[in-house]
Amino acid sequence: MGDAGAASGGSGITPQVVRRDDLTVAISFSAMASPCEVLLETQDLALAHELAGLAVDEALRIERKFSRYRDDSVISTINASHGKPIAVDAETSSLLSFAAHCHVLSEGRFDVTSGVLRRVWHFDGSDRLPSAAAVAALLPLIGFDKVDWQPPNICLPAGMEIDFGGIGKEYAVDRVLGLITARFDGAVLVNFGGDLAAQRAPASGEWRVGIERPGQHRSAALLLGLSQGALATSGDTHRFLLRAGIRYSHILDVRTGWPVPGAPASVTVAAGTCVEAGMLATFAMLRGAEAEAFLETQGARHWALRL
Amino acid sequence: MQLKTPANALRLGLMAATCALLSPPTTHAADAPEDDGPWQVDAGLLYYKENEGRVRTIEPVVNVRRNLGDDHIVGFNFAFDSLSGGSPNGAIAAKSKIQTFATPSGSSLTPGSGPQTYVSPSGNTYTTLAKVTLYTIQPGALPLDPNFHDRRISFDANWSQPVSTNVKGTVGGHISDELDFDSLAVNGALSRDFNAKNSTVSFGMNAELDKIKAIGGTPVGGSDYAQLLKTGSKSKHVIGGLLGLTQVISREWVAQLNYSYDRSQGYLTDPYKILSIVDSTGNLMAVSSSTAASPYRFENRPGTRTRQSLYVGNKVALGLQTLDVSYRRGKDDWSVKSDTVDVRLRVPISNDWYIEPHVRWYRQTAAEFYHLYLDQVDAIPQFMSADPRLAGFTATTIGFKVGVDLGGNNELSLRLEQYQQKASERFSSLLNLQGLDLNPSLKSAIVQIGWKMEY
Repeated sequence: MGDAGAASGGSGITPQVVRRDDLTVAISFSAMASPCEVLLETQDLALAHELAGLAVDEALRIERKFSRYRDDSVISTINASHGKPIAVDAETSSLLSFAAHCHVLSEGRFDVTSGVLRRVWHFDGSDRLPSAAAVAALLPLIGFDKVDWQPPNICLPAGMEIDFGGIGKEYAVDRVLGLITARFDGAVLVNFGGDLAAQRAPASGEWRVGIERPGQHRSAALLLGLSQGALATSGDTHRFLLRAGIRYSHILDVRTGWPVPGAPASVTVAAGTCVEAGMLATFAMLRGAEAEAFLETQGARHWALRL
Repeated sequence: MQLKTPANALRLGLMAATCALLSPPTTHAADAPEDDGPWQVDAGLLYYKENEGRVRTIEPVVNVRRNLGDDHIVGFNFAFDSLSGGSPNGAIAAKSKIQTFATPSGSSLTPGSGPQTYVSPSGNTYTTLAKVTLYTIQPGALPLDPNFHDRRISFDANWSQPVSTNVKGTVGGHISDELDFDSLAVNGALSRDFNAKNSTVSFGMNAELDKIKAIGGTPVGGSDYAQLLKTGSKSKHVIGGLLGLTQVISREWVAQLNYSYDRSQGYLTDPYKILSIVDSTGNLMAVSSSTAASPYRFENRPGTRTRQSLYVGNKVALGLQTLDVSYRRGKDDWSVKSDTVDVRLRVPISNDWYIEPHVRWYRQTAAEFYHLYLDQVDAIPQFMSADPRLAGFTATTIGFKVGVDLGGNNELSLRLEQYQQKASERFSSLLNLQGLDLNPSLKSAIVQIGWKMEY
């Protein structure tokens, strides 16, 4: 057992701060419906507590601000705007502009308005597919090209919804890493629910990151060494539908409203930032059978798992 | 030669977009002082001038405001004004007599002037004013006290911040100092957003404490003008509350409904206002034929006043133009009922310039104790005032504002307005008052230069 303690942020959630070994302190807390972990190479527990508070506050701030599940989030305000234009703050504005770029770069495959499909698709491992009519009925409510986005004003047509679920966690990882490295010059790794970014290699040379074996928690199928940069994973081996021998992944093609055929069970991508890695992984999944080829073309290190 | 698109163009685009997202100047850290907004400064110079040598004033105002991040907003307001000119003292014009009045002041009583006799020894409970400046009013003219002079310094500070999800709190304070009046006030309000911020309900309370230290002493309400029965400083206090609802009705229309209630208690009389007493022909009462020392009385108002008002405001976007229409209904227990209609239309005339025509119409009924003058035959009422501000009248304001955006959130504006007030009761049928306008119209002009800046 190492020294354990609790650091307090202004947020009310208390992160666990635990000395993991002679060199490393682990900070852990829960945010964005994920286990969150920050590893620091330091002897200074007081500093670790301070940085833990910083990390929790920032993660919760982003969650509060952008969660579609919270009535008081910016996203809920936009989603409840019923077609009225809304002026958004600088941060929301930069995220929306990023989403707009990704929509274009992915030729319309990545779309922050696709969340309404969740109303008919429930990926619970069962065989209950929605009716084609139910899916088709939602298509008019999808498409970032229908959104009038003139920074900082967004006008979201009534009935449509925006969801930063595909960006938020990765964004939080990069933000927290940025905040910590501004105050700490040792080695750091930030891991929010499997999406992670590291700055500076630890004394041992590399951060050792395990990629989970599909369906098996904390059992590594693969061990990667990471000294600097980010890893993000898209795909979830628990979330699918199985009918007549066909596996329907939860990666939906917004143009049809149906799962992208032939996508890997999961793909992990390495890139400079967690946001970039996450988007590359998502873009790849949206390519279905061509996921790996796409990542090859883009020159991205990746690890795809197919069942 | 054609440029070849690199195979990983998508990734390059993604890297650029990611860079834009994650690198400064995205100023949104939770703890960062960089979240601070700039200081927003509104500076203005107001010039107000009434017709026929009445009051004029110049008032510089500075208002600064800053968002310290997370909607913690601090604001300060500083104003200084200097008033001078003539103010109606409440007495009416006399057809053929020169009227003499006294302004309490620091200067010595002019020896040998007639009204010296008005200054009588004090009673036991009152101090006698020793220093007055006399002024005379020609026949037919409205008695204006030409020595009216005041300067005022006021300072306001307020703070607002979110107190919980969807709830915002505001606290503020006000302090002002005039030559003869000090005021101290505090206020607090809570507002809560509902319905995805489409509705806001607010509740506010305010309390004010004023000290009236009239120059030369505060007159005893209703006493004979010449007896100069004065006491020391007096006070009054005001407690009020406000209940408001702001509602977004459509993407073009925001409406607001406010109800306010306040109650004043204490010395509510104007220490400088008097009333004339006339006989059955309309001449000033002959002092020799009565026990009075003068044909004038100091006014006297009730010691409490309860006011209520209902306000409906609308802001409507009409394309590029913005229409602001509001109506206010006011009512108090002095029988003053008022209606105000205010309309502004902001019209952009180019990218940088706008013009905003403004029309305001106001009407009020007279206070129940308002009299143009008192009649010698009637008993002197307990409460009485001839203050034109408590008369029934209608007033219109017509004007416009032009503004130019100087870039970088700097704006320069000029406001020109004309105000006209017309009393509903102005004439008397008494023989010697016929043809005299006893409550002449008031006209005034307002010029205001404003400069808005950020730094």
